[in-house]
Amino acid sequence: MIEVSGVARSFVAAAPAQRGRFGFAGKRAAARVIHAVRDVSFSAPGGHITGLLGPNGAGKTTTLRMLAGLITPEAGRLSVDGIDVVERPREVLARMGVLSDSRGLYPRLTARENIIYYGALQGMARDAADARAQDLARMFDMTALLDRRTEGFSQGERMKTALARALVHDPANIVLDEPTNGLDVLATRALRDSLRWLRTPAGGGKCIVFSTHIMQEVERLCDSVVVVAEGRTVARGTVAELLERTGQRDFEEAFVRLAFPSAAAVVPA
Amino acid sequence: MKPSLAAALTVLRKELTDALRDRRTLMTVLVSSVLLGPLALLGVSGLVASLESRAELREVYVAGLANAPTLQNFLERQTYTVKAPPGDYEAKLRKSEFLDPVVVVADDFETALARGDAPVVEIVSDSANQRSEAATARIERLLNGFSRERAVLNLAMRGVAVQVLEPMRVEERDLANQQTRATRITGMIPYFVMMAVLYGALTAALDTTAGERERGSLEPLLMNPTERWALVVGKWGAVACVSMLIAVLSSFSFLPGQWVLRSDTLAAMFQYGPREALLFLAVLLPFAAALSAVLMAVAIRCKTFKEAQASSTIVILATSLLPLVNIFNLGSQSPWHLWVPALAQNTLMTWVLKGEDFKLAQVLIPLGVCIALTLGGVWFVARMLRQAALK
Repeated sequence: MIEVSGVARSFVAAAPAQRGRFGFAGKRAAARVIHAVRDVSFSAPGGHITGLLGPNGAGKTTTLRMLAGLITPEAGRLSVDGIDVVERPREVLARMGVLSDSRGLYPRLTARENIIYYGALQGMARDAADARAQDLARMFDMTALLDRRTEGFSQGERMKTALARALVHDPANIVLDEPTNGLDVLATRALRDSLRWLRTPAGGGKCIVFSTHIMQEVERLCDSVVVVAEGRTVARGTVAELLERTGQRDFEEAFVRLAFPSAAAVVPA
Repeated sequence: MKPSLAAALTVLRKELTDALRDRRTLMTVLVSSVLLGPLALLGVSGLVASLESRAELREVYVAGLANAPTLQNFLERQTYTVKAPPGDYEAKLRKSEFLDPVVVVADDFETALARGDAPVVEIVSDSANQRSEAATARIERLLNGFSRERAVLNLAMRGVAVQVLEPMRVEERDLANQQTRATRITGMIPYFVMMAVLYGALTAALDTTAGERERGSLEPLLMNPTERWALVVGKWGAVACVSMLIAVLSSFSFLPGQWVLRSDTLAAMFQYGPREALLFLAVLLPFAAALSAVLMAVAIRCKTFKEAQASSTIVILATSLLPLVNIFNLGSQSPWHLWVPALAQNTLMTWVLKGEDFKLAQVLIPLGVCIALTLGGVWFVARMLRQAALK
C-alpha cells in the first residue's frame, strides 16, 4: 500500500551570470525556482497496478524519487504500508523495490552477482539471495544470462537484470519509473506479463506503481490511472472512468483533455 | 550498528571484486609503478658499476705518447696502463662510442718540459658524454700529481724544502656515513613508492564514485536501506585496500631488486632490508588511506570518469611535486615538512633510508594528518552522495 498526499517540491536553478561592465561577472539574475511537483496525491493498494501517467516533465520521476527517500518533500506526506517515508526511510526502502530512471549495472560483475549484491545490501543471507536470483531469472526468462558479465547486455537484458535486482528482497511494493523505455515489443510484452503475474495472489499480490507517458501501456495494464500534469494530479480513476468523465472513446484524446485542457480546447474533438 | 557494518563489508567485498576484475588497469599499475622503481635502481647500479670497473682498470689513453717518455714513466709508476686512443677518438667521443677521456701531448712536450716552458697537455672529453666526463676528474688529479712531483723534484734539487711548496695540507673528513651517502643515489626510491600508491588508488577511487555516477548505478544503489556512511566506508575500504596492496608490493619489490645490484659499493651502501620495508609500510599505509579518501572526495563531484580524471590531476600534481622540496633540498629540513602530506611521507622514508633515528612525535604528526584527511574525505563523500546520485 503506497499513499501519497499533497506532496510538493521545487528546485532552484542557478541563473546564468550576466556580464558586468568590463566583461567581469556582474550581478547574478535572481535564481529561477522550478516547481517540479506542486500537488500530487494518489493511493495505490496491494494487488493492484497503478499507472502514473503524464507528459515529459510533469513531475513523475521527482514524485517517485521522493517516494524512495532520495528527495525530501517540501509539503505533503508519503507513506508505504503506513510507514512515513521522511521519518523512517530505511524501513520504507526495505519494503519497496524501486526500478529507477537510471538503472546502471556493474559491467564487470555477472547478472547473478549484481542481483546478489543488492540482496546482501537488503540484509539477505548469501544463499537466500542466490536462490531468489534463480527464481527471478526463471520468472523473467533470463536463466541463460545469469552467469554472464553484464558488459555487452542488450537494453532488454539490462532491464530484466535491473528489475530482478530491485525485486531480490521480495518487496510488497514495487515502483517502476518508465520501465519500458528502450525496450522492444517482445521485451515490453514480457515485462507486462511479469507485472500482471506479480499482481495476482500467486505472484504475491504486490502493490505496483509505475510511471509512463505511453497511453497503450496504461490501457493494457493498469487497474487505475493517476494523470499528472505540471506537477499536479489532475485526474484519478480507471481507464473506463476517465473515458466517461471526458466523454471520449479514445483514451489518448481523453488524456490530452485532462493533461492539457487549454490545448484540447483549440483542437476540435 | 551491526547491519550497517555488514553492509559496509558487503560493499567492500563487491568493490574489491570489481576492481580486481579490471585486469588491464591492474596490470598497467603493477607493471608501471611496482616494477619501475627496482628497474631504475638496477639502471643506476649498472652505471655505477661501469664507472667503478673503469676506475679499477687504471687505464689512461694518451695521444702522442712517444713525445712524453717522462709522463709515461710517471703514469706507469702510478700503476696505470698507458694506451694509445683510436685515431678518430674525437668523433667517437662525440657519438659516445668511446667512453674515456684522452690526454693529448704536444710534439715538443719533452723539450719544453726540460726548458721549464710549461707545455700544454689537453684532456679531451665531451661533457655531453657523461661517462667520459666522470673520468675526467680522475685523469686531472693524475696529471696534477705529475706536475707536483716535477715541482717538488726541481725545488729539492735547488735545496728548497718541500713545505715551502705546500705551506698548508688539506685533508677531507666526510661526516656522512655510508648509508647517508647512498641516499644520494637511492633518494628516488620513496618517490617511486609514493607514485605507485597514488596510481594504485586512482582508478579504483574514480570508478567507485564518478564511474558509478556515469554508469547510472549510484541512484539505484541509494535505494537500498543502507546507511550512506556504510556505503562510503565500504567503497573507501576497497580503494584503500587496492592502494595498500600496491604499497606492500612496491615496498617489498626493492628487496629482490637489491640482490641483483651490480655494483658492490652500491650494494654495501644501500641498506634496505625487511626492517626498512616494514618501516616504509608504516609510513605508506596511512598515506594510502588518506589518498584514497581525498581522490574519492574530488571524484564524487564529477559526473563522468573523464571529468574526474581531469579534476584529480591537482591531487596527482600535489603528490608528485611536494616531495621535490626534499629532492631539490630547497632549504633544510623544517618542522613544517611533517605537516604537509606527501612531503612528510617522503621525509620519513628518506630518514629510514639514511638510517637516521626519529622520534615518535615525528611519526605521529603525519599519521594524524592522514587520519584527518581520511575522515574528512569520507565525510564529504557521504554528504555529497545523495546529491550526486540525482544529477
